[in-house]
Amino acid sequence: MERYVKLKSLLLIPAVMLCLSACTASPENGGDGTDKPAETENAETAAATAAVDFDHELDGYEPARNSYNFYFTYKTVHPWWDAVALGMEDAQRQFLEKGITVTYEYMAPDAASAEDQISRLHMAENAGYDVIGVDVADEDIISPVLDEMAAKGTKIMTFSSSDAAEGCKRIAYVGNTHNYEDGADLTEALCEKLGYKGKVAILVGSKGAPCHEDRARGAADTIAKYENMQIVATEYDMDSIDLAYELTLKILEETPDLDGIICCNMSNPVGAARAITEKNNPAVIVGMDHDQEALHYLKDGVIYCLGVQDCYSIGFDTLQIAVKIADGNKPGELFPEKTNEITTVIYQKDAAMMLELLYGDVL
Amino acid sequence: MKKKKRITQKTFVFTAVIGSVLIMAILAVSTLWSSKMTNSATNEAVSAVSEFYLEAMADRRAKTITNLINNNFDQMEKAMAFIADEDIRTQEDLRLSIGRIKSLLSLDRFAVVDSDNVVYTRYTTYTGGSRHSFLAEEKMDEREISTVLMYGSSKQLCLAAPAQGIKLMGKNIKACFVQIDIKEIVDLLAFDDQGRTYFALYSQNGENLSGTELGPYIADKNLFEAVKGVVPDDEWNLNRDNFSNGSGGSITFTADGAEETLCYVPIAGTDWKMAVLIHESVIHDTIRDISEKSMAVSRNQIIAILVLVLLFAFILIAEFGVLSHYKVEDEMEKSKNLHTMANTDSMTGVRNKHAYSYIETELNEKIKNKEIGNLAVIVCDVNGLKLINDTQGHAAGDKLIKDASKLICEYFPHGAVFRIGGDEFTVILKEKGYDTMNETIPEFNRKVEENIKTGDVVISIGYSALKPEDEQLHDVFERADHMMYKRKKELKEMGAPTRPE
Repeated sequence: MERYVKLKSLLLIPAVMLCLSACTASPENGGDGTDKPAETENAETAAATAAVDFDHELDGYEPARNSYNFYFTYKTVHPWWDAVALGMEDAQRQFLEKGITVTYEYMAPDAASAEDQISRLHMAENAGYDVIGVDVADEDIISPVLDEMAAKGTKIMTFSSSDAAEGCKRIAYVGNTHNYEDGADLTEALCEKLGYKGKVAILVGSKGAPCHEDRARGAADTIAKYENMQIVATEYDMDSIDLAYELTLKILEETPDLDGIICCNMSNPVGAARAITEKNNPAVIVGMDHDQEALHYLKDGVIYCLGVQDCYSIGFDTLQIAVKIADGNKPGELFPEKTNEITTVIYQKDAAMMLELLYGDVL
Repeated sequence: MKKKKRITQKTFVFTAVIGSVLIMAILAVSTLWSSKMTNSATNEAVSAVSEFYLEAMADRRAKTITNLINNNFDQMEKAMAFIADEDIRTQEDLRLSIGRIKSLLSLDRFAVVDSDNVVYTRYTTYTGGSRHSFLAEEKMDEREISTVLMYGSSKQLCLAAPAQGIKLMGKNIKACFVQIDIKEIVDLLAFDDQGRTYFALYSQNGENLSGTELGPYIADKNLFEAVKGVVPDDEWNLNRDNFSNGSGGSITFTADGAEETLCYVPIAGTDWKMAVLIHESVIHDTIRDISEKSMAVSRNQIIAILVLVLLFAFILIAEFGVLSHYKVEDEMEKSKNLHTMANTDSMTGVRNKHAYSYIETELNEKIKNKEIGNLAVIVCDVNGLKLINDTQGHAAGDKLIKDASKLICEYFPHGAVFRIGGDEFTVILKEKGYDTMNETIPEFNRKVEENIKTGDVVISIGYSALKPEDEQLHDVFERADHMMYKRKKELKEMGAPTRPE
C-alpha cells in the first residue's frame, strides 16, 4: 500500500506540474510555439482544454421560483459572443432539467453602438424582465444609464467582456476582470520575442469599450517599461475585421520597419494577420480571442500568440448568477461581485488542438 | 530349410499400438492441415467480402440519414404551416407555439428567424447573424444543410428552410431551422453493429462531424490528417478528390499492426460522407470464431472417435488375447484328447497297441543305453474269445474282453496295461509292479483257475523279466509269450474254453 502511495505520488507530481504549466502558460513563463522545444502532446492538449472549460454543472443553489425571464444585450453580433451564448444555453438546459424554466433574449446590434445599447436598455426596462444583463459598449455613456435603471429598482448586471465604470450601481459582473493584465501579458510575450527592442503598433476595438481600453493600457504600460521599445501607432477598428485590415495596411505604409502589433480584441488580430500576410511583412502579432481565422493564422505562425478567454464559462456563470440576482440575492457567499474568468495565452503548438476543440477543424 | 516365423500375441499388440498411433498421427496432421486450409480460405473470403459488406453498410446508413433529413424538412414545412395558422401576437405566443410544435411534430430544436436575423426558439431569442451560416445572405431561397458547432459539445446538424409570406409580430419571417445532434444520429445508426463497427460522418474536407470515433487509430480526428502517411500519396489524393466531387470510395491501411478498411459513401442532398470502418481482424475473428467452433466440434469428434477406436482396439486386443488363450487351451486339450484317443483302447479304456509301440521304442532306447533296471513283461491271452464270438455273438465277446481287461487291471494295478491284439494284453511292470509280481502273478493265475469252474473269464499269462543280455523289449516279450502259450495249454487241460478245433 505504501509503495502504491509512493508510486501514485510520483505520478501525480508531474501530472500536477503539467496542468499548472498548461494553465499558467504566459509570456513570463516562456510559452513559445516556435522557438522553444515542443512540449508533450498531453501538455498541448492541457493548454488548449484549459483555455475553455465546457464541463459545467449548476451549483447547489435552489432557485426561489419555477420560471425566470431575462434580457441580455452585448456589444455586437460576433462569434465571440456566440460562444458566450452556448454557455448560457447549457445553463438554461440544466435549469430546465431541474424543472425551472429560464427564458431570455440575447440581443446585439450588427455594429457596436452605445446609443443602440441605450435604446435596447430602455425598451427592456419597461418589458418586465427579472434581470437585465449588459456587456457595456462604452462605460462612460452606459454606466449612468445603468445607475438610473438601478435606482428605479431594475436588477442590472454586467457580463462577458466589459464591466461598467467603477462605482456603477449594477449588482454584479460576470466576465474577464483582468483585461489590463491580459494586454500586459500579450505585450510582454511580444517584447520577449523581439528581444525587448523595436517599433510596435496597438490595435484597439471599440472606443470606450472598457475591456479593449484596459488591454490597450496594459500594452502601453508594458511597452513603456522597455526603453528600446516604441509605440508608433494606436488605432481603433470598432470591432470590424475589415477596418483592422485597413488600419494595419496604413500603419505598415507609415512604418515599413514595424516589428510588432498588439491586438486588443477579437477582430484586431484577424485584420492585422491578413494585412501582414498580404504584405509579406515580418511583424510579430499578438492578440486576443479565438476567432477561427485567427487560430489558423496562429497555426501557420503568422500570429505569435493569442489570449483566449473562457467564453463558455462566462455564459454559463452569467445565467446562473442572473437567477440568483432575480431571487433578490446580493454579491457575497452565493456569488462574487466580480467573477474572475480565466484567460489563457496559447501558441502555435496549441492552435491545432484549439481549432479541433472549438471548431472541429484542423485543416 | 528356413525356419517359419510365428506371429505371437506380443507382435499382434505391438502392431495394433503402432497402427493406432499412426492413425492418430494421420488424423492429427489431417486436422491441422484442414485448419490451415480453412484459415487460408477464410482470409481470402474476408478480403473479398469485407469491402462489399462495408460499402453496403455505409450505403444503408447514408440512405437512413437522407430519409431523416427529408422527413425533418417535411416536418418543418408542417411546422411553418402550423405557425402561419396560429394567432401569434407576442414573443410569448411564439414560444408557446414552438413548444406545441415540439410536442406535435417531434421537432426538438425548432426555431424561426425573422428578417433581422433574430432567432426565436422555445426558450430564447437571440441575434444569430454570426452564429448560423445560412443567415449570411440577406435572402434565403433554398433549403440549406449545415453544421452548428457546439464548442466542445457534440456538433449539431442544422436543417434550414426558407419561409415565405409569413409575418409574425410585425416582422417578416425569413427562415426556420432545426438542430439535430449528429452524434445521436450516428449512434442510432449503429443498430446492428454490436459495437464492432465504427461509423462517422464527415464533411467535404474530412472533418469529423459526428464526433464518433472511426476506430481507435483515426478516432474523431480529421480523416485525411489521420491517414496521411499510412496510405500511399496517390491513394490519399484520390480519396480527397472523391470527397470533393461527391464520390464514394474505400481506404485500406495498416496502423498499429492491424489492417483496417473503411468505406465511405456520399449522403444525398449534402456534401457529407458516411464512413464505416471495420477492423479486418473483426471479420477475421468472427469467421475464425465460427470456423474454430466448427473445428473444435470436429476436433472433439475426432478425439472422441480416436478414444473410442483405441478403447475398442484395447478391448479387442484384450478379448483376442483371452480368446487366443482359450483357443490354445482348447487346442492343447484337444491335442491331449487326440493323444489319449490315439493311445487308448476304446473298448477297455486301457492303452492300445499304438501306445505300446511308443513305449516299446522308448524302452528299447533305455535298454540299449542300459538306463533301466528292473522290468518285466506279462503277455496275456484271453481264452475262448473265438468260441464266445461264434456261439454268443460279438457283444458277448466284447464283454469278455472288457472283463479280461478289468481283471488284469485289478490284479496289476501298478503295471502299464496294453491291449495289443483282439484277445491279447500286455502288462509292463516296473518298480512296485515289478517288486510285487511274484505275489500278484500267482494270485492272478489262481483266480483264473477259479474262473474256469465258475465260467468267468479265463486269461493265459506268461511273463519274463529283463535280462542283462536283452537288447530290446521284444526279447523279454518273446520269452513271456512263449511262457503264455505253455500256460494256455495248461489251462485248456484244466477245462478252460478254447476255440473250436
